[in-house]
Amino acid sequence: MRPPNELDFWRGLALATIFIDHVPGIIFENYTLRAVAISDAAEIFVFLAGWSMRLLVSSRSVRQMDGLHLVLRLEGRAFTIFAAQIVITEIALAMTAAGSLLLENPLILEWNNASAVFEDPVEAHLGLVMLSHQLGYFDILPLYVVLMAFAPIAVLVDRYFPLLLLPLSLALYAATLATGVNIPTWPVEGRWYFNPMAWQLNFVLGFALAAPHGLGGFVRRHRLAMRWVAAPLLLAGVTAAHYNWSPDPLSLPEPQLFLMFDKTYASPARVIETLALVALFGGLYPHIAGWFGRATAFFSMLGRNSLNVFCVGSLLSLLAQFVRFTLGGGFGIDAGVLFVAVGCMYVTAWLSEWRDRARP
Amino acid sequence: MRGIFAALALCMAMPVALAQDAPPPLSPECEAPTADIASPAPLPHLAERLGQKAPAIRILAIGSSSTWGVGASSRKKTYPALLRGILDSALKGTKAEIINRGVSGEVAQTTAERLRTAVALDKPDLVLWQVGTNDALARVDSAGFEETLRSTISWLKASDIDVMLVGLQYAPKFVRDDSYLTIRETLKKVAVAENVLYVRRYDAMQFIARHQNGADLMSTDDLHLNDLGYECMAEHIARAVIANLFVRRRDLPKPAPPAPQP
Repeated sequence: MRPPNELDFWRGLALATIFIDHVPGIIFENYTLRAVAISDAAEIFVFLAGWSMRLLVSSRSVRQMDGLHLVLRLEGRAFTIFAAQIVITEIALAMTAAGSLLLENPLILEWNNASAVFEDPVEAHLGLVMLSHQLGYFDILPLYVVLMAFAPIAVLVDRYFPLLLLPLSLALYAATLATGVNIPTWPVEGRWYFNPMAWQLNFVLGFALAAPHGLGGFVRRHRLAMRWVAAPLLLAGVTAAHYNWSPDPLSLPEPQLFLMFDKTYASPARVIETLALVALFGGLYPHIAGWFGRATAFFSMLGRNSLNVFCVGSLLSLLAQFVRFTLGGGFGIDAGVLFVAVGCMYVTAWLSEWRDRARP
Repeated sequence: MRGIFAALALCMAMPVALAQDAPPPLSPECEAPTADIASPAPLPHLAERLGQKAPAIRILAIGSSSTWGVGASSRKKTYPALLRGILDSALKGTKAEIINRGVSGEVAQTTAERLRTAVALDKPDLVLWQVGTNDALARVDSAGFEETLRSTISWLKASDIDVMLVGLQYAPKFVRDDSYLTIRETLKKVAVAENVLYVRRYDAMQFIARHQNGADLMSTDDLHLNDLGYECMAEHIARAVIANLFVRRRDLPKPAPPAPQP
């Protein structure tokens, strides 16, 4: 296993944060990034996914791969994530069904957009497999599937025409925000919660900034200047969040999505705030590890096994909703929920690594 | 029932004035005292649009499962679909376009986030926000719930868009649920403080459940609405919209329909 490192640490912290953000009403949601800033842990998670893609394609074995093998490798990863999405969704549905039976409350069948599956199973099952029907809070992996399915394009453009990658990504992003286009959901009419055509920018930025050359190299050479730019931007974001201020979409000139703080379309303010966070906190890891060695090792272990931990965390957040429904909220219960859940996420990471070690 | 509305619509030489005096009638199964249907408050911007003889009004129906239509036998039997038919007949010459943005099981905070974008993109004249049930079940803190409602309503009001709150459904199971009661009280309090129209779904459904033995608004599980439940929901909301179009003061007296005897 690789030793604790910056990428895994932040990713682990993002995973724990996402768990909290997915338990509505839990007290600790008032202290996650979402509560103090205009962006949240989902942006960090996707940005770091792009970052880790860079590490993957820079590895010697992948650099020596020809285009076809590279595409197959990344599509294989996309399929793994797709399979994970299908498995956790099915388990979440079974948990929902069990919850409604045990607690004798059919209203639970409606939680998290699950009702179409129980009400309209024929269409909803098609939708589940096509990712056009997503349960509430189980909507990040579908984005990840799409990002990974199209990642070969980003990687190949970067390999052969590196200067084109960011302009192409920005053009797709701008076109998406200008038109408001998004993938429709079915059978429940609506739109994807995470619009992949907008969110790809977070992924591509992570991928571009992780590179030692090009934009990534430029930023590293001017780290201090970047921090001077980032600090007031982050301060502005935090101030806006503190006063619960956001631009009034109706008084904005069209297309409003460019100036709103919209999550579905990853509006620029959110992307910029994520970049500011990266500029300010990137590179601090050695100090954090020096002060909180055990915590960094703990979160790094979660981050090293991010897909498994994410899947278990998603199911635990649903379980936590049942616990809070049955026992009510409050500090004691919420603290217990968080402690047990993060503990289970740690056990998941430990088991994943134990299994890998046990392999011949 | 459509026939009644068609007849009513034919009589409407002056639709605006008539609408004020005679809101669309209720089906016998859906009869409930006016006070149990909605707490009145004005809908000034919608009234202005209708006064300008706008060819169409656009309504954003946002919320959770009751908006999406869990339990309805088809998509035509959801409350937004039924409401469109009733309003089309009642507002002669003006088409009601209703956009259904219900996501089942969603808490208010998540809906509030979606709401801003939906309003910006869909540009409705009226927002119907059905809210509360899932916050009660998720044990969301009532102060946070109140803050979510208030900030969203203030924003809608500042943006010159009317908003109507549609409350929690009645279910015998929740009569003694503290969280359910608290969220319901909070909703009522916010509606009064913000002076927005509040559809008292719980009270109307409870009245019907207690007084009209033949009419069952719920599916066999006693929690989901059935087609009749959605019909009554649509009729009550339509009545609240029409009756309040020209309400200027909160205490304007309104004729109460005869309440059936228990």
